[in-house]
Amino acid sequence: MTITAEAAVPVAPAPDGDDTPAPGRAALIALLAPIRPRLIAAAAFQVVYAISALVPFVCVAELARVLLSPGAGGPGRVWPIAALAVAGLLIRFLSFGVAGAITHFADADLQLHLRRRMAAHLSRVPLGWFGERNSGHVKKVLQDDVREMHHLVAHAALDLLAAVVTPLAALAYLLYVDWRLTLVVLIPVPLFAAAFAIMMRGYDEQMRRWSEANTRISSAVVEFVQGIAVIKTFGQTRRSYRRFAEAADDFADFFGAWVRPMLRLSGLSMAFISPPAMLLVSAAGGALFAANGWIEPVDVLPFVLVGVALTAPFLVLDMGSMRLRSAAESAGRVAALLDTPPLPEPETPVRPVGHAVDFRDVSFSYDGTTPVLRGVSLSLEPGTVTALVGPSGSGKSTLAKLLPRFYDPDKGEIVVGGAGVRTIGSAELYHHVGFVLQDVQLLRTSVADNIALGRPDAGRGEIERMARAAQIHDRIAELPRGYDSVIGEDAHLSGGEAQRVAIARALLADAPILVLDEATAFADPESESAIQDALSTLVAGRTLLVIAHRLSTITGADQIAVLDGGRITERGTHDELLAADGLYARMWAAHVRDDERDWTRR
Amino acid sequence: MIGELGAVLGREHGARLRRSLLAMAVYGVLQGLSFAMLVPVLRALLSGEAVGPWLAAFAAVVVATAVASYVQAQYGYAVGLAALRTLYHRLGDHVAGLPVGWFSADRVGRLGQLVGKGVMDVMSVPAHLLQVVVSAVAAPATVLVCMFVFDWRLGLAALLTAPFLWLAFRWTQSLVQRSDTAMDDAGAEGADRVVEFARQQPSLRAFGRTADGYDLLDDALVRQRSTLRRLLRTTLPGLGTVALTVQLAFTAILIAGCALALGGAVDVPELVGVLVLAVRFTEPLLAAADVGGELRMARGSLRRIKAVLDTRPLPGTGSARAGEPSVELDGVGFAYDERPVLRDVSFTVAPRTVTALVGPSGSGKTTLTRLIARFWDADSGVVRVSGNDVRDYAPEDLMAQLSIVFQDVYLFEGTLEDNIRIGRPEATDEEVREAGRLARVDEIAERLPGGWQARIGEAGATLSGGERQRVSIARAMLKDAPIVLLDEATAALDPENESALIDALATLARDRTLLVIAHRLTTIAAADQIVMLEDGAVVERGTHQELLDLDGRYAAFWSERTRARGWRLTQPA
Repeated sequence: MTITAEAAVPVAPAPDGDDTPAPGRAALIALLAPIRPRLIAAAAFQVVYAISALVPFVCVAELARVLLSPGAGGPGRVWPIAALAVAGLLIRFLSFGVAGAITHFADADLQLHLRRRMAAHLSRVPLGWFGERNSGHVKKVLQDDVREMHHLVAHAALDLLAAVVTPLAALAYLLYVDWRLTLVVLIPVPLFAAAFAIMMRGYDEQMRRWSEANTRISSAVVEFVQGIAVIKTFGQTRRSYRRFAEAADDFADFFGAWVRPMLRLSGLSMAFISPPAMLLVSAAGGALFAANGWIEPVDVLPFVLVGVALTAPFLVLDMGSMRLRSAAESAGRVAALLDTPPLPEPETPVRPVGHAVDFRDVSFSYDGTTPVLRGVSLSLEPGTVTALVGPSGSGKSTLAKLLPRFYDPDKGEIVVGGAGVRTIGSAELYHHVGFVLQDVQLLRTSVADNIALGRPDAGRGEIERMARAAQIHDRIAELPRGYDSVIGEDAHLSGGEAQRVAIARALLADAPILVLDEATAFADPESESAIQDALSTLVAGRTLLVIAHRLSTITGADQIAVLDGGRITERGTHDELLAADGLYARMWAAHVRDDERDWTRR
Repeated sequence: MIGELGAVLGREHGARLRRSLLAMAVYGVLQGLSFAMLVPVLRALLSGEAVGPWLAAFAAVVVATAVASYVQAQYGYAVGLAALRTLYHRLGDHVAGLPVGWFSADRVGRLGQLVGKGVMDVMSVPAHLLQVVVSAVAAPATVLVCMFVFDWRLGLAALLTAPFLWLAFRWTQSLVQRSDTAMDDAGAEGADRVVEFARQQPSLRAFGRTADGYDLLDDALVRQRSTLRRLLRTTLPGLGTVALTVQLAFTAILIAGCALALGGAVDVPELVGVLVLAVRFTEPLLAAADVGGELRMARGSLRRIKAVLDTRPLPGTGSARAGEPSVELDGVGFAYDERPVLRDVSFTVAPRTVTALVGPSGSGKTTLTRLIARFWDADSGVVRVSGNDVRDYAPEDLMAQLSIVFQDVYLFEGTLEDNIRIGRPEATDEEVREAGRLARVDEIAERLPGGWQARIGEAGATLSGGERQRVSIARAMLKDAPIVLLDEATAALDPENESALIDALATLARDRTLLVIAHRLTTIAAADQIVMLEDGAVVERGTHQELLDLDGRYAAFWSERTRARGWRLTQPA
């Protein structure tokens, strides 16, 4: 095996490999299913290529036989053989080209197919899946891993096929010419095999050490690069750099120590089967046989010409093995992503009637061990406002997220308009339930399309009306291309402005039930009051579930539910809860006090 | 490319690189020679002469080739390892000297790629790729020379194909290069859309846009495929032409040889030998075509590494000594991407006083604090910290003056405690805990399983915005620098979070010089000085009362705030 530097490309970069099992053969075959007919066609061409590759060699041998035969060798016998050789070259070239073109175009289609399939799948997995991974992971699988599979799809299978067919054909031809000399020519193979076996001893252990070292340097790189801006602000650049430099030196030391013995053995084993060595054995063996009269001198030529082909595949396979390995690992990650269980969709969807919401004895845990919600029951009457309050970690955001089915509860049920959310089709559910999140991120597309996210068919007039209601129309009109300005390109909106775009979006979608994270940023006072006006417009007349952070804003709610440790501990109106003198009353007292506190006063 | 490699590696490795190149060239020539040796061996064999001496010579060349192969591999890897080490150090060294402002999220992502995969790419050039290229030139050239020695007419036939080969190579290269750029662009767009798609799942779902309805992603993916198909359509003919031209050499020799043999103008045993040689002639060329992709990748990485190394670090390695802890801005102007952000800003924060910066978003408040910390240098005017121009400090001395509590708090993959300790790594456990307690991080530790040892960061427990800022305050407490730059959290906080944060800030502000970007005006009414920024310029300055009396922009701001505070989502039923 040649230790190509490809081995050095981090095969399993960074310790994010939570789901990188060795890909099962079945999983791989399933991934390739959409292009299987084309792969088979390509394989057929590849077989033609593998066999025709020998034709020119055989022709040269035959040509020699003709030219050397005493008295013979007229043009009538020479040119047909030469023509056949050139024809062989052409067929070899064409079939190789066609096979390669088929797999490469098939690969392009497969890439699109897999990316689409994964995107569609990701739209159906529980949102919690995204919480456990960063978006970089998704990007890595959808983009990098799919691209990495290229070698597997476009090259590996074809290379393997040629590597098997060509030597077999060559072997058959040589056995036909002279079986004894064939055996002699094969002598280097067991030598190579022995050296290779020694080298492969403890290969798994070697690879394990390699991937450990790789993980160490990867995390050193990540830590150094990601943290450097912060580290610099603490004036510890030298220290952090030293840590990185040490890790880099360790890695270089390891790599040197790791690769050197392998390099030696691989040099040795390759020497046995390298083309010069094979030529030498063929020529020497042939000379010996000819000297003893066992064969005609001219019969040595096939061995000199084709003998090299016997061992060529060992070289090829070895070159590709690292790439193949990383391609297979990528395929494993793609398969694992597609294997993530999606949120189940109902088979016969039910239509909700009315806008009442009922949480019935709902329990939920993110990790299956730490309960976040324990037996929560709560009813939202149509057209009323319900506020969720409680300390951070009390489960109020989690409870709100169960309503638009970002997660399914472990126990209990959520009923919208008389139908359990699991029995409502997701499109139907989102017609009924809207959501305004705290952390608004707009899409990199026009402002108009951002507002029309929930109703792509909405006209410009409607979009503008909603933008006015959300107090953002004037700002949009100031943008270089107005509503056609693209977010992040010629529309740079502040946090507060983005929030108002999100409110316009919710207004246009016009869902009768709304989940709202009351978190108007302290962007700047002007922006804040505009957001507040926009929110007041939005919530009017809807069934509202609001995650409240600042108690003063929700004192007028129809009901306030106080969560503590995943349970509803108090419920009532602002006045009722103050009178009850429990957790809410204490939170209110703290709120009033802090609102007036000035920490810069000394 | 070898020149670029040499430049990046530096002079001390030049000799090594040259030695390795020489070994590769010797190996290539020996490869060619070992093929050429076939001709006399076969001629002797076919014409019935003594084969023994030729075989012995052949064996000697083959052994020499094997030795050369071994030696050049060792040399190549030695250079590769040297490249690995040198690049890590040079990149690390250089990056450590770049201004903090250079490290945008985008750059950090690319730098991570570059230090990881990029360095490996470059290493593979001397370790592995270069040999293939050198052999592709040296071996066929040697064979060609030998052919001329055997029979000049056959040699000439082979030589005539060389220009075609060269043209085909160049043409294909230019095709591939052009398409590569298009592929990169399409790939970047696709990757961006995938990240957007993943990040925005909640809103996409809430508005009924699953993958089917999300055209932005699908369009990008389709465009990626069509770009790839276009790449294939343009480059496959090129690659095919190369493969075809490579065959041309063999065909030319074959036809010329047959014609000569039929005319009786050539020694037939020797012709047969040359024909066998012609078969071998082109193999190294095809191997070189195989590694073309990897070479291009390595070259791209090499260029990007060079670009990073060419970025200028902030000038100045002064040795100024800090005086009383103050901050002074004197006519400071700054533009970002040619867009002016600050214009002629002047004010002073006296030692142990509090100055609040207020103003609408986009007015330049954050940029101002970053110039004080020297994330960038001001375009005009002077920023002074503790009596000296920031450019006259050694970077670490400047940072020793400042504690920075900004909104984008970076948490390491590590324990809660580690994340505080970064403020002063040599601090004792007690000191770390004490700082944590003062910043009310102890409450976070209580909440998390694992307490102080709980792992946080992207792959660990998530902390809310307020909690992250408390960690950041704990770092600042531990660091204990005399000047504090603070960007107040804008995110809405739960009452108990807010209460903890206010306690922590009050403790941090005590006895220090403080410049705070205030988002909640109520909290800064007692500041010694309030500076109001608008469009990058100071429009008003004074105490809270002075500015209210002035009845200008700040007063308007204040009344908006008062109105906003009285807001109710719904009126009582």
